[in-house]
Amino acid sequence: MSLSRRSLFAAPALLPALAASRGASAQAAPQRGGTLIYLEQQTYTNLYPPAAGHYPAGGVINQITDKLTYQNPQTLEIEPWIAESWTINADATEYVFRLRRGVTFSDGTALDAAAVAKNYDTYGRGNRELRHAVSEVITNYERSEVIDPLTVRFVFRAPSPGFLQGTSVIGSGLVSPATLALPFDQMGDATKIIGSGPFVVARQVLGRELVLNARRDYAWGPAKHPHQGRALLDSIRIIVNGEDSVRVGALLSNQAQIARQIPAFDENRIQGRGFQLFAPPTRGVNNSITFRPDNPMVADIRVRRALLHGTNAQEVVDTLFSPNYPRATSVIASTAQGYVDLSDRLTFDAALAARLLDEAGWARGANGQRAKDGQELALAAYESPNYARSKDTMQLVAQQWARLGVKLSVMAGDLGSRTVDSLDPLKTPLSPAMVGRADPDVIRSNFYPTTRNMLLQTGGVSRRVQSFSDPALNAQLDAIASEPDQAKRLLLVGEVQRHLIDQAYVIPLFEEPQVFAASPRLRGMGFEAVGRPFFYAAWLAAR
Amino acid sequence: MTRQVAQKLGQALLVLLAAFTVAFVLLQALPGDAVLIKFLGSEMGLTAEQIAELRIAYGADAPVWEQYLHTLGNFLRGDFGYSIRSGVPVAQLLAENLPSTLWLALLALTAACLLALVLALLSQLEGFGWVRGLARSMPSLFVAVPVFWLGIMLIQVFSFQLGLVSVIAPEPWEELVLPVATLAVPISAPMAQVLIRNIDAVFGEPFVAVARAKGARHQWVLWRHVFRNALPATLTMAGVLFGELLGGAVVTETVFGLGGLGGMTQQAVANQDVAVLQAIVVLSAFAFVAISLLIDLLMPLLDPRLALRPAGAS
Repeated sequence: MSLSRRSLFAAPALLPALAASRGASAQAAPQRGGTLIYLEQQTYTNLYPPAAGHYPAGGVINQITDKLTYQNPQTLEIEPWIAESWTINADATEYVFRLRRGVTFSDGTALDAAAVAKNYDTYGRGNRELRHAVSEVITNYERSEVIDPLTVRFVFRAPSPGFLQGTSVIGSGLVSPATLALPFDQMGDATKIIGSGPFVVARQVLGRELVLNARRDYAWGPAKHPHQGRALLDSIRIIVNGEDSVRVGALLSNQAQIARQIPAFDENRIQGRGFQLFAPPTRGVNNSITFRPDNPMVADIRVRRALLHGTNAQEVVDTLFSPNYPRATSVIASTAQGYVDLSDRLTFDAALAARLLDEAGWARGANGQRAKDGQELALAAYESPNYARSKDTMQLVAQQWARLGVKLSVMAGDLGSRTVDSLDPLKTPLSPAMVGRADPDVIRSNFYPTTRNMLLQTGGVSRRVQSFSDPALNAQLDAIASEPDQAKRLLLVGEVQRHLIDQAYVIPLFEEPQVFAASPRLRGMGFEAVGRPFFYAAWLAAR
Repeated sequence: MTRQVAQKLGQALLVLLAAFTVAFVLLQALPGDAVLIKFLGSEMGLTAEQIAELRIAYGADAPVWEQYLHTLGNFLRGDFGYSIRSGVPVAQLLAENLPSTLWLALLALTAACLLALVLALLSQLEGFGWVRGLARSMPSLFVAVPVFWLGIMLIQVFSFQLGLVSVIAPEPWEELVLPVATLAVPISAPMAQVLIRNIDAVFGEPFVAVARAKGARHQWVLWRHVFRNALPATLTMAGVLFGELLGGAVVTETVFGLGGLGGMTQQAVANQDVAVLQAIVVLSAFAFVAISLLIDLLMPLLDPRLALRPAGAS
């Protein structure tokens, strides 16, 4: 498009027309074809779907597998996908799914009731021989029944109201029975992961690149999705580059069309150059600091409350992040189901914090450090490399606490030490936490002793916990897992949030999004409810 | 001769076994293990019983000596096992990462040798005192440049600004241009230093004075006498550097998004991916043993004096 200067001046009437035509081209009919280059920060590792939650793996599984149901990322409603319809009994112990006809895996096998049953038997019960672990999102699973080739029933030992949403997540991606016959140790090879999704794995260079090609005969997209039929792109090249500045620079110099994990301080530059920024929310437990009250230093609620009010989350967001990272107003994100606004209980109040610490007997010494009975109030936590700027965040919090006279050491350490020490409340009195999942169950799985056990209660994996347990909290969490009535469930989720904040078990910091930057040519980009990319309807406009 | 070679091979095998054993013991001493890290550290939300079951399935709680013998036996059969972290056979990981690493190391070493040679020649240039001074100060500068910074600068200038080479989806010919340049600069520095120092030293030796007294010109003495005598130490240096390049190019591999042994090792260490680490340690030990053997065999060709002595004496 080149307009000479004269024609611009001579025909002012042209300008609105020009603007209109540009507006129209933005909504022009999607174009099929082309190759998209997607820059990942890390390589995927294992692609066994229940183990593929981490973004690099989720970004692959979400293109090559379909799920029984589709969670609409805007409304969070569960919509039909491979299941055309379903019925759930009153106490949520039996689910019957009616499947879509004519769906096949890319190896040619039918995606029928038997295949679905095989998938869920594996995800629900695990397979010891092949080392397949149980999926976190499926609880109380007992068995499947194939009623006819297109109808399958799942039976649960106890109510499992989270199961319907559980059928829509990455971890429930449906794979061919041939894939499920592989041992866990071979599922890091993407070429062996056979799904029924809009893309299939064409080529892989381990640790460097994965090429996905559109499946020409794909005709079973989510029923209510605006796009239907095969994917618009011909192929996607997922290329790994761990260096932030290289990913951003490559995108801006048009060597790629979309990149994941964009540093907050690059956001302005990217938008200033006319590139797009996507920041889909992760809708789960906010980026937070959780206490391990089994540690005597933080067993006293006054100490925990002091640190809660002595933490300036707004400063964390303003200093390290961007408006795409909203300050947390509860334990779970404001976009999560069952969220209640608790911002009035999460105020930054240094004077209150100091008073609480004085009351608890931690007096300031000559060096400004608080101590009691000769012991300094010194805490330690590991940074978590998987969360956005975890080290910087923890160090800023450490500075804020230093003003209160409390010492916080932020440890890096190798993964082995971190894994082992994180099970020991004496070594890690607090820990960063964050998890994405768009179901009320997320709060339960994060805090329940036998699952993620973020507070380190007794009854979990750790053998180092002496006595800490909060039966009231666990009773509420149990109720969330088994309450079939959605409205009641959401009320329970609210109660748990209040309990966690009133007990000052958690210091919520910010709502963590997944930030992607993309070329202005990229259109129709989608993200599932927790922010993994969905390239089904994506297309590239002409330059 | 045959006995010497047999002796050397026997030594090599012992070195390999020792490397394997030491690596195994050290890995056992670390806190945590790969199974724990994979299933607990990656936050799959598994219950205590599920993790305990998986530990049994992996034999992670078997006695150490049993695990040792089991792993050693597999190695002897050529079975390197599976990477718990990546979910692929270790052999496949090696097969996909080794070639690119070898190419990168080989090209970088070649480029570094040329660079060192040019610097050494410039350092002996007649006239042009400032060129000599510059050539002699370059190695210190090269060593001081951080590889990370150099890589990023080369990418920014040649790829993002000038658009001369593509970093993200490069053609085969352009893939290694910038990484080789990035690696060659710091690698050339120690070689150039050793070469320049040796040339200077050889110039001071009596036989050079004799040659000069016979009326030989500077260039002729440099090429005919000095260079040949200054080269062997540099060759040894190059051998060691090549070994380091095989596993030590992590930064370059990361910046340029190249797969390779360096990044693979780093990930395996971070995740205590024992099977991968065992294979890498044995492979590295093998590479060092093979290279030093090769250098030992090459030396007599360059320096006939060495051929007269039994290998190993100096």
